Amino acid sequence: MTMTDSPPVAETALAAASPRVVGLFDALTTTDHKRIGRLWLRSGVLALLAATIVGVVLTVENSNSSADDLFGGVNNYFQYFSAYRFGLVLLVVAPLFVGLATVVVPMQVGATNIAFPRAAHGAVWLFMIGAGITVVSVVAGGGWGALDGVSSGERDAIALTLVGTALVIVSLLAASICIATTVVSLRTAGMNLLRVPLFAWSMLVATSVWLLTLPIALGNLALIYFDLRGGPGEYGVAEGSSDIYTQLGWLVEQPQVYAFAIPVLGVLGQIAPVVARRRHAQHTAAVILIGLFGLLSVGGWSQPAFQGANYDEKFIFIVFGLFAVLPVLGSIGAATDTIAKRSDDGDGAGISGLLSVYSLGAIGAGLLLLAGTVAGLARVIQPWDLGGRTTTTAVMNLVLYGAVVAAIAGIWFWAPKISGRHLPVMMGRLVLFDLVAGAVLLGAADFVSGFLEAPAFGYQVAGSTAPLMAVPSDQNLIEVMNVVAAVGAVLIVLGVLGVVAALAKAARSDESVEDNPYGGQTLEWTTSSPPSSGNFSEPPERVVSEAPLLDTVSENGEEA
Amino acid sequence: MFTTGFKFFFGLGMALAGAAVFYGYTTGGNHMGPLSMGWKGGIGEHLGYSLLLGLGVTAITVALFLVFFRDADPAAQAHYMGVEEIPTNSLVTASFWPVVGAFGVGAMAIGLVLHTAVFVTGLVVCGVVAIEWLMDSWADRATGDPEANRVLRNRVMAPIEIPALGAAMVALGVLATSRILLATSKLGSVVVAGVVSVLILCIAVLFVSKRRINRNILAGLVLVTAVAVLAGGVVATVTGERDFHHHEVDDEHDGADSVEGH
Repeated sequence: MTMTDSPPVAETALAAASPRVVGLFDALTTTDHKRIGRLWLRSGVLALLAATIVGVVLTVENSNSSADDLFGGVNNYFQYFSAYRFGLVLLVVAPLFVGLATVVVPMQVGATNIAFPRAAHGAVWLFMIGAGITVVSVVAGGGWGALDGVSSGERDAIALTLVGTALVIVSLLAASICIATTVVSLRTAGMNLLRVPLFAWSMLVATSVWLLTLPIALGNLALIYFDLRGGPGEYGVAEGSSDIYTQLGWLVEQPQVYAFAIPVLGVLGQIAPVVARRRHAQHTAAVILIGLFGLLSVGGWSQPAFQGANYDEKFIFIVFGLFAVLPVLGSIGAATDTIAKRSDDGDGAGISGLLSVYSLGAIGAGLLLLAGTVAGLARVIQPWDLGGRTTTTAVMNLVLYGAVVAAIAGIWFWAPKISGRHLPVMMGRLVLFDLVAGAVLLGAADFVSGFLEAPAFGYQVAGSTAPLMAVPSDQNLIEVMNVVAAVGAVLIVLGVLGVVAALAKAARSDESVEDNPYGGQTLEWTTSSPPSSGNFSEPPERVVSEAPLLDTVSENGEEA
Repeated sequence: MFTTGFKFFFGLGMALAGAAVFYGYTTGGNHMGPLSMGWKGGIGEHLGYSLLLGLGVTAITVALFLVFFRDADPAAQAHYMGVEEIPTNSLVTASFWPVVGAFGVGAMAIGLVLHTAVFVTGLVVCGVVAIEWLMDSWADRATGDPEANRVLRNRVMAPIEIPALGAAMVALGVLATSRILLATSKLGSVVVAGVVSVLILCIAVLFVSKRRINRNILAGLVLVTAVAVLAGGVVATVTGERDFHHHEVDDEHDGADSVEGH
């Protein structure tokens, strides 16, 4: 609907550089994707710190063989046990990747902004509100079920946890629509799907899987909510039951948990060619492998609450578990092939790139994800009967901390575009080494304990009416493993504190940053650091390959 | 009117919904089950039916997003603006409404659990946000000149917004404050009333004395005040009113009426 007879001619020149100072007013009104993305990232890092601290307390409690009770009862332990798991997926990993994608993906595809910027902005605030309701309600005695029964106040708190979780999921779905639509609809001329940068492609696959599966979790939550508020009481909250957690547990177990780690392959595929200073050796294969991993991570169907206790013995569950390793292995192989063919030019830049924070982070994240999917493979081998044991926890921790490490590597890599600053290098190496080491200890300890018949939920309180698991075969060795897991959890918290310190240090820096400091090959590196409000000083030229900046260099004859 | 993206996703959604109904009836669904999502009758094989219907609803949602906001379709934007090519800088203006909408949805969620009044408030806020959002989306594309768009939008909306917002703020403030006063003790209510009055006075003085107020301070003031008043109101509503001591004469009178009534 045009309101003037002859509308003004559209301006093709772009806006001036965006102001560096961002106040509360901008946070409340912005439609700039970079500011929205930064809000997501800050929320994710804050939640990461909180979740890892809870993780330490849980592992310390598990390794505590005395009668001391850190939580003050099995109910509290169960609340924080489930809060840690759902929090790590919904409040940490998903928002970190959504934040990274909200900043980077529009620039990668040559767009001036994210699709539906107001919806994207509303989503991040809805996320913060939902996360706030969830956390407050858990502290107030809510959570995802109660093992010892509840009072009426706690029943309300549980209901608040359910609606808070639903708000978080709705916000992630809204953000997913924005990201997926950006990749589908706002690509610049010549950029077909095979030429989309691997991180943007992985986010398209990830958000598509989330859009397919997270509404199922919303359905689960609605079912539980109505049961809780005057329904038949199928979930047994009044008398004490873990059925709510069981109903939603598929979100943090394989194959669905893999869906939150799909962007790990994108980060790896994006960083490997930059480190190698050449094109990705297997770009098309990487695109296919990321898509395959996405397919094998669709997990809405895998619900023990509906499919029965033996759901993990079904053929399709086993197939998903067995084959999920292949795309991860293939993606790591493709990245390794690319790095192995790196061009050093004799100036040592290739080696320094290999030892860069983002390179080490991407490699560490890929290996953690591989370890997680291998643990998942072991989990579906029926003679070992690892279901319901700490092997499930090992899969979750390895996969999700792999995702966290990838997100942090991405933050280091794209820091010039996120904040217009470099993040400290040495601190970054220490942080990532620390995080990977912690995740390996945590995952390995739980993996070994699984073979010793340690139950996933390992808390026992004298006199509790809570359902208890069978006594493990070798309690002493399990206690040793629990101590190892606790050490891993402490290392992870130290790493996260290092990340916060590095971000704070960089925020005080006024060092100017080059537009393309690492020799990036995709369109985001043609923007200024930090990028202007319209991203590009002029519309990108027609894209003819997956590495447009190398094409430009070739045309100028400076580099083949 | 309808973009290519909308047509694609809407068609896909309808096809999937149709497939779900067909699948439901061919796998044991009966009566109106597959058509009513199991409300009246069986839906057949649950997994396939849920998957197909879920996909269909997702596709239709995406289609509605595309046609409702329209800012992901460059061709449609250019057509509406009457230009050959859309401006490459961001057309979507800054807006408070997404944040207000998020708080509205949050209020609905909390109200669902705690109190109907909070839920209804959230619902009203979401309704207002939907209208404002639509108007902003329309104004952003009215012409190719952002300044002209802003003037146009304000010309249409300001005569409605300013009185409505003023009335809503007064009503909400009075309602929330009255709940707080009723919930606190007699002395506490005097203190609350005093503090609220002083706060109003201070903010008014600040407005009058400063020609230009930093927008961050203004936004912070609005946010903190709104959250404090609403949170106080919600907590007070949930807590309930304090015990009021009625005069004995009234009680006796009521009792007499009651006896006589029998």
